Amino acid sequence: MSLDAIAARLRPRRTIRPTRDGWWCLGAALALGFAAMNTGNNLLYLLASLLLALIVVSGILSEHSMRRLRVSAVLPEEIYAGRPALLGARVANGKRWLPSYSVTLRSGARRLYVDRLAAGEEVLLTWESTFAARGRTRLPGVQVTTRFPFGLFVKAGRPLLEGEVIVFPVVRPVGDVGRRRPTGSSGRALHRRGRGHDLYNLREYRTGDDRRLIHWRSTARAGTLIVRELEAETAAATRIVLVGDGRRDAGRLEAALSEAASLAVHLVGTGVALELVGPGVDVPAGRGRAHQRRLLTALALYDPRSAAAPAAPRGASGASEIEVVLG
Amino acid sequence: MTEPSSRALSVAVYLLVTNGVAALFLGGLIGVVGLLLLSALLAGSWWQEPLGRRIERVPRLGMAIVTLGVVALVVQIALFAEAMLHIFAHLLVFLLLVKLYTRRTRRDARDIAFLTFFMLVAASPVTTSVVFLALFVSFLVVGTWLLMLRHVSNEADEATPSSLGRPPALGFGRDLFGLSLAASAATIVVTGLLFVVIPRVGQTALPTRPGGARIVSGFTERVQLGAFGEIELDAAVVMRVHLARFTGGRAAPEAVPSLRWRGIAFDHFDGREWTVSRSTRRSVLYQEWPAPFPIQRPYGGPVLAQEIHLEPLGSEMMFGAPRMLRLQNRSESVMIDDLGNVAVATASARLQYTVESEPELGDPRRRRIADARLPRDPRWLARYTQLPPMSPRIAELARRVTTGSRDPYDAARRLTAWLSRELAYTRVLEATASDPLEDFLFERRSGNCEYFAAALAVMLRTLGIPSRVVNGFQRGEWNPYGRYFMVRLRDAHSWVEVFVDGAGWVTLDPTPRDAGEAAPAGASVALWFDALRMSWYRYVVTYSFHDQAAAVESVRRAAWSWSAAALRPREWREVPRGALAAVALVVATVVAAAGWRRRRSVTASVAVPGFYARALRVLARRGLVPGVGETAREFARRAGTAPWAAPLVPLTGAYERVRFGSAVLTPAERAVVEAALRDLAAAARARPPG
Repeated sequence: MSLDAIAARLRPRRTIRPTRDGWWCLGAALALGFAAMNTGNNLLYLLASLLLALIVVSGILSEHSMRRLRVSAVLPEEIYAGRPALLGARVANGKRWLPSYSVTLRSGARRLYVDRLAAGEEVLLTWESTFAARGRTRLPGVQVTTRFPFGLFVKAGRPLLEGEVIVFPVVRPVGDVGRRRPTGSSGRALHRRGRGHDLYNLREYRTGDDRRLIHWRSTARAGTLIVRELEAETAAATRIVLVGDGRRDAGRLEAALSEAASLAVHLVGTGVALELVGPGVDVPAGRGRAHQRRLLTALALYDPRSAAAPAAPRGASGASEIEVVLG
Repeated sequence: MTEPSSRALSVAVYLLVTNGVAALFLGGLIGVVGLLLLSALLAGSWWQEPLGRRIERVPRLGMAIVTLGVVALVVQIALFAEAMLHIFAHLLVFLLLVKLYTRRTRRDARDIAFLTFFMLVAASPVTTSVVFLALFVSFLVVGTWLLMLRHVSNEADEATPSSLGRPPALGFGRDLFGLSLAASAATIVVTGLLFVVIPRVGQTALPTRPGGARIVSGFTERVQLGAFGEIELDAAVVMRVHLARFTGGRAAPEAVPSLRWRGIAFDHFDGREWTVSRSTRRSVLYQEWPAPFPIQRPYGGPVLAQEIHLEPLGSEMMFGAPRMLRLQNRSESVMIDDLGNVAVATASARLQYTVESEPELGDPRRRRIADARLPRDPRWLARYTQLPPMSPRIAELARRVTTGSRDPYDAARRLTAWLSRELAYTRVLEATASDPLEDFLFERRSGNCEYFAAALAVMLRTLGIPSRVVNGFQRGEWNPYGRYFMVRLRDAHSWVEVFVDGAGWVTLDPTPRDAGEAAPAGASVALWFDALRMSWYRYVVTYSFHDQAAAVESVRRAAWSWSAAALRPREWREVPRGALAAVALVVATVVAAAGWRRRRSVTASVAVPGFYARALRVLARRGLVPGVGETAREFARRAGTAPWAAPLVPLTGAYERVRFGSAVLTPAERAVVEAALRDLAAAARARPPG
């Protein structure tokens, strides 16, 4: 067993510290205990016992409240720098028949409060968080705490959700320049549904359809919402080529990576097979949402200090190329 | 903070304040006038907010009031030289009023709660009343409620709203009071445990009163005849005697015949007054507490242990059933004399003590105790047969009554019987210029217990039988709730001890029995309340290291006897069947509850959301029930053919998301679901069943 593992085992499950009221209570109990011992007055013993009992009961009830609380993270699949991400935690009361009271989930300065969680009940607590920079980032973590029942002590569990997430570069809407067909593009219709430009079919609106695809003329004619279905387009491949290593100008590098990420999101959305090459970066061509995440991950983790020589282009596949200069 | 919780907090604060002020009043730290004035000020502070808005802001008013208060306290300390406790109490009252009139935040509520707690602390050294227990418990209950209320309000205010908009402090308020009651009950239990186990290392175990204790008058350390007046029938309880054990006795301790509590014996009579003679040998015993003081040598009979709780009587005498063998109290020394009188100088050590006595049982003439033989010393005999010059009629009467007696004890009994039969008891005493005893025996022929006792002792002495007069208390009223005797002031009594060869000093009571012992029985409620007071006094106020040691010892003995009994299976047969049935019932209940909980947890894990269950109940009332194996969506489709059941469709969608997608409904979705449920219920009501 490693030292870390031993230390983790030895670390108490909960920490407890008095609040200001708690310090008052402890001080008063000590003073009264001293007075009781000094005078032998049993009523003073009784009052000192009351304060100590409040502390004991507070410990028991707060422990009961914290016991069998399960906290699990709810993280978005994609987190983009500069854009608020909705983070969440599910708090479930795993006790069989007793509720938990007055539990607070702390994450940084945030305090999310659950007043009562019935036995077996689960609650989803969410908050927005904005990550300033791309890359591998450690989550601020959350801690389940309670000052229940009297506010005399803060009992806190071990910090949770302290894992790492990958924050993708800033993605902006691509303008007309960005929408330009890449050099050498041989986009052609595939005669199947996709996200190209040509009309494939008209059909009734279904929940979840993009409202921008509503075909208003047909809608007016049919008396019900009609949407356009577009044909998929493809190219033999589109390659985003990162030029330079971006070591000289960090600002320029980030802007370039943001541009590359924005292009990648746009192009994957149009259904093209997209490839990414650059110094130390080589993501083979692919399509779809999962591929988009691979591309964004590569861009998020790009480090100019460890950038190797640019990968050699994959043969003369006829793929069109978009160059993004890192600086 | 929401309006209801704010109001609840105010109510809790004022309940605590009432509690604290009552504690000060109970301890005598504020008088009636102070109480009335303070009550008016407290009542006014309830409206401090509207009052503050109406009254124009006076610059530095608060500072001026505080300064005045401080000056008043300093003057009080310097000029009136009152006890510090009174000044502390006045300071608390002043701070309380300042806080009440300036309170704005919840922190002020906390401060007020602390101040009221210290009011209880201030009252604790100056009261032993059981009312303190009531104040203590009510403080605990209300204080717990206030702390929880304040905690919940603080948490709700400080919380960041969740993105899903779950509002804080919803639903908690409903069971907050119940929860605080449960917490109070738990706190009381833990307080009791801590109170019992915290080691008593203090020097004194009794309260101190700055103004001196109220002393109960009535018991006197002399017997004086010839005075006039009327004996008071004061029902004030002066002593409570708990019979702890009766070692070697066959009957229940409370059934021991003719129990009485001996205080002081007199050996010298001057014709009007009985006193303790100067020749009495006194000795002081020193003993390291908690060992008992040996008072007299035992004769080998059954020993009755009594725990005596005495009110301050203004007498140093220690009371106990005759013959007192051992005494245990919280003093380092006791003074005893050869009359069997025991005195303790430390007032606090007289308030609670334990006495072991050897009660007189059976006919004393049958005893042949070597230590109780008639002393041959003529000085001893002269001392207990001493008489002043008096009328020969008394001796003549004594001889006449005892004619034909077989022995001195028989003569003493004849005299006792004659006195109680021929003379009357009266509480009204008239002054006599002549010999009061002669007047009692031959003229008035009525008197109180002192006359009867004096007459018997004198008549015995005229016959040469050693005797002495004793003052003390009669047995008193048996309290079945607390299992002790309540001895009242009106139970003060005088009787006679006569020396019987081989049996020692034997008690004789010539006072007519009905006059001495007939006392109206107390009402059940009064007895119960007195038992509560006794328990409070016995287990809280006078709880000591000795009690702790005794408790540990009894637990150890009980554990030992239990384990020894458990090892002998035959003894299980002696366990009452009712107890076995009760144990079996408890075990069965626990097993059933565990099974129910298991089933419930399984059910809960597959339970449908509440809103969908409600929808199914509405539909079931109209005959629409899901088929076996029919999915929710299929059922919705089938039910949807009936136009009135159309709201089931969105409910089914929500149900699928919650049940199978583990989704949590947003407030908007919850609103939609609730609306659909209402529509479904309304449509179902409009449609006849079938």
